Amino acid sequence: MSIPSTWDVIVIGGGHNGLVTAAYLARAGKKVLVLERRYCVGGAAVTEEIFPGFKFSVFSYVVSLLRPEIIRDLDLPRHGLEILPLESTVTPLDNGDYLAGWGDPDKTRREIARHSLRDAEAMTEFGRLMHHMAQAVKPILGMVPPDPTSLSPRELTGLLRVGRHFKDLGAERFHALYKLMTMSSADYLDEWFETDGLKATKSASGIIGTFLGPRSPGTAYVLLHHYMGEIDGSFRAWGFAKGGTGAISESIAGAARRFGAEIRTDAGVSKVLVRRGGAAGVVLDNGDELRARVVVSSLDPHRTFLQLVGEDHLPDEFVGDIRRFKFRGSSGKVNLALGELPNFTCLPGVGPHLRGAISISPSIDYLERAYDDAKYGEFSKAPYMDVIIPSMIDPGMAPPGKHVMSIFVQYAPYHLNGGWTDAKREAFGDAVVDTLTRYAPNLKQAILHRQVVTPADIERTTGLTEGNIFQGELSLHQLFFLRPAPRWAQYRTPVRHLYQCGAGTHPGGGIMGASGRLAALRILGDGR
Amino acid sequence: MTRELIIIGGGINGLVAAAYLAKAGVKVLLLEARDVLGGLAGGVDPIPGYRCDVGGPDAGWLLPDIVADLQLDAAGLELVTPQACVCSPQEGGRALTLWADSARTAEEISRFSPEDAHRWPDFAAQIGRFAGLLEALYAVAPPQVPDPDGRDIGTLLRLGLRLRRLGRREMVEFLRVAPMSVAEWLDDWFKSDALKGALGAGGITRIFQGPRGAGTAFVFLHHQVGRPAGAARGAHYVRGGPGALAAILANVAQGYGAEIRTTAPVREIVVRDGKAIGVALETGEHLAARQVVSSADPRRTFSRMVDAGQLDPEFLWTVGNIKCRGAVATVHLAMSELPRLSGVTEEALGGAITIAPSLDYLEHAYDDAKYGAVSRLPFLEARIPTLLDPSLAPAGKHLVSVQLQYAPYRLRPGGWDDRAREEVANVAIETLSAYAPNVRGSVIGRHVVTPKDLEDRYGLTEGHAYHGELTLDQILFMRPVAGWARYRTPIEGLYLCGAGTHPGGGLAGAAGRNAAREMLRERRA
Repeated sequence: MSIPSTWDVIVIGGGHNGLVTAAYLARAGKKVLVLERRYCVGGAAVTEEIFPGFKFSVFSYVVSLLRPEIIRDLDLPRHGLEILPLESTVTPLDNGDYLAGWGDPDKTRREIARHSLRDAEAMTEFGRLMHHMAQAVKPILGMVPPDPTSLSPRELTGLLRVGRHFKDLGAERFHALYKLMTMSSADYLDEWFETDGLKATKSASGIIGTFLGPRSPGTAYVLLHHYMGEIDGSFRAWGFAKGGTGAISESIAGAARRFGAEIRTDAGVSKVLVRRGGAAGVVLDNGDELRARVVVSSLDPHRTFLQLVGEDHLPDEFVGDIRRFKFRGSSGKVNLALGELPNFTCLPGVGPHLRGAISISPSIDYLERAYDDAKYGEFSKAPYMDVIIPSMIDPGMAPPGKHVMSIFVQYAPYHLNGGWTDAKREAFGDAVVDTLTRYAPNLKQAILHRQVVTPADIERTTGLTEGNIFQGELSLHQLFFLRPAPRWAQYRTPVRHLYQCGAGTHPGGGIMGASGRLAALRILGDGR
Repeated sequence: MTRELIIIGGGINGLVAAAYLAKAGVKVLLLEARDVLGGLAGGVDPIPGYRCDVGGPDAGWLLPDIVADLQLDAAGLELVTPQACVCSPQEGGRALTLWADSARTAEEISRFSPEDAHRWPDFAAQIGRFAGLLEALYAVAPPQVPDPDGRDIGTLLRLGLRLRRLGRREMVEFLRVAPMSVAEWLDDWFKSDALKGALGAGGITRIFQGPRGAGTAFVFLHHQVGRPAGAARGAHYVRGGPGALAAILANVAQGYGAEIRTTAPVREIVVRDGKAIGVALETGEHLAARQVVSSADPRRTFSRMVDAGQLDPEFLWTVGNIKCRGAVATVHLAMSELPRLSGVTEEALGGAITIAPSLDYLEHAYDDAKYGAVSRLPFLEARIPTLLDPSLAPAGKHLVSVQLQYAPYRLRPGGWDDRAREEVANVAIETLSAYAPNVRGSVIGRHVVTPKDLEDRYGLTEGHAYHGELTLDQILFMRPVAGWARYRTPIEGLYLCGAGTHPGGGLAGAAGRNAAREMLRERRA
């Protein structure tokens, strides 16, 4: 006889998607348990005091895509969520000048006009188009991908809905969207702008988290992410969570708890219990068995299926699909504790630019060369960097008078020639600091502490396979009904009562929470 | 007098369109700027005593319908498919040859990787199925997405059924593979660098991307359309050699009553109140016509031949954005003997000698081009038409026609001067000699055609032989530009029928035939 289930649902992994799923299910009255391997919830969205007094969003560091309906449904502000806008992006250029985008569209246009009147004019039109495109994509992000191979009425209706959505867009916008989906960000931006630094800074968003360069097709559509959040104009609509990205996870956890979910930390799952082809619960690292009617994994497809479930419980074809799902982590982080603010040669002194992002993306060729190093298994000698100084936005992140700097870096290939060693990690950190010091000469001596995070470190700490921050590359052939595998892109899995809710499912990466929400809705829809 | 219809350009697509329209009783006048027909498939004597096609001897795929409809067999067309598809020499004196016969290829591959050889039959079968699907798609005018008309829905349903007939698994697999990079796709299948390089080369043919660029898997499949089953990267030669196909088509078209004038370069397509009324020749001569069809590339047609005042600026902007970044230089070499590759039989030289030892090699070649330089170690495709037809060269001599990629149209610095032209020939010779050392010493003549030359002499914008790269954003309903994929243009009475339209380059006459059928359908309506 089988032991009665203690829980309706067990959620494996306390990352933001896992927490969102848990919160929605608890909100619907389910008895939910979240199991997190680490001491804190959040997964890659955590705030940690790495050095005494200095708090870091160790991995993911900005937010723009968190779905509004989630913020609303879970009443996150009440649980402490506060998003502070990143007002600007400044790109130091090789000629000693800079290129800035400000929160105020007109100010931005005036700035761009300094570099090119033509581009300043194109800006408005481009922003409008991007806004429309973002509107066009949002419904797709909020929809369970239909299975194009199925003839079931439900799937066909889904397909028709997608078809009608595109039809309703009108030919012009559909074609613009199609180009965005298939082109390289460099080619796409070439159609609009002439200023190299502007094109590079915009296209940088297209390469984040991918193992592609700005000239690689498939990088253009990520440009949209800048426009998903706010209405057009603002150069980039990123925000910073008060208290770091960990605060976002905490707020979702708070909401989940309020709805009655239990969250256990230091509770790593070693195995999904499969009984008669169905998930019956989980086994913890300490050997405890926990039973539940439904198990949901927020881990990436590799971990979920190849490690926790095990191939013998899965169809060979499916195993093959999961094996070829591409991760190829390409990003690293360098977190610095600073004794003083960096002084940028192109924009000396303390100014509003230090409250925004500093983008080290002087030209398309610069980014492309950074990619070239990675293609052949080396980290970029002169990498792309997205730099922010959280303590300028939220003083609570560092002791008075001191600062923290978060540097997102590409490229740092997971599959480094010879593998990642401590020496390689430090060499990578040096390359980052040296490159940045070229733009802010005082940086090096301002450093009190330095934390270097390689893809290998990301994998070890958060469990993300190959350190891919999106739980699998957001490349065309890994999106929508192909994410993570054909016929299993609807949060269900070949194992009955086992669901997936991580970024490895549609719509994927970024602190978006959409996967977690759609999974929860699917589970409830299945009457589990 | 006002002619019924004028076709601009006597390349294969223009000739096919002329033949189809004339056959249907339309009074056609075809105007070719040069003194020979055929465009890149026109015979030339690059080196005195040697003959070849500027675009190399591969005629590309001839839609079976075209051969049947125009009775080209009766007109003397004979396609020859060499047994060898690709011979890819490796460092250390080995060479991998892909044969038209899949089993023979598998045997060959087993010398490099038994595991890969084992997977080969499945791979060959899959590309055959996928190419078949594209073949069906290429034989019709592209359906208008996202709002198909009644006829499109029929087409889409037929294609949908065909797709379904692949089975659920293969259906999704096709949708997954098409937008992939050829490198990732091949990595899913094979281990051997030699094999992946030789195949991957097919994914970058004439596009300004490396094998890691998304959509290069589609490019590979595009070039598989019409190839013998299992023959990866095969080619079709036309018996009779350079210019033969063009000559046959010209005879057929004239037989149906089409009039053909060479050395008649068109300066302008004359438009009145948004309607094409004829053309003006460089000589100043005006020729009136009720309809004008241009087989020139879209950018040339609209930016150079039509008065900008007649076009919507947004349309012009879109056309101006068509990517046709020439990336290939052709180096014709007159040689006193055949290249000697250790362990390679003469039969294996019958296809293309491909220098593409690995995917990384191809990617490195692209890296140089990204920054405006000719690849230091380029991807080469060398064909030897004299093996099939010795009469193309003096007795005992050979012509080796080498396609070198990447040779970017926008060469930095200085552009394509004579030094750069000589340099690209040297790179080709040195690269070949690294594998066939006797090449260096047996070159007795050379002739280089750079992308700039293709633009200057053949009117190809940025020297792109396909009138536009076959990237995902420039195919099907997006070719030549969104909303105008049906061979019509915003100018009433003006049509396109060149490789810049669906289904694009590397397919002999398919665009011309589709365009002609669209126009005839319109006349019937």
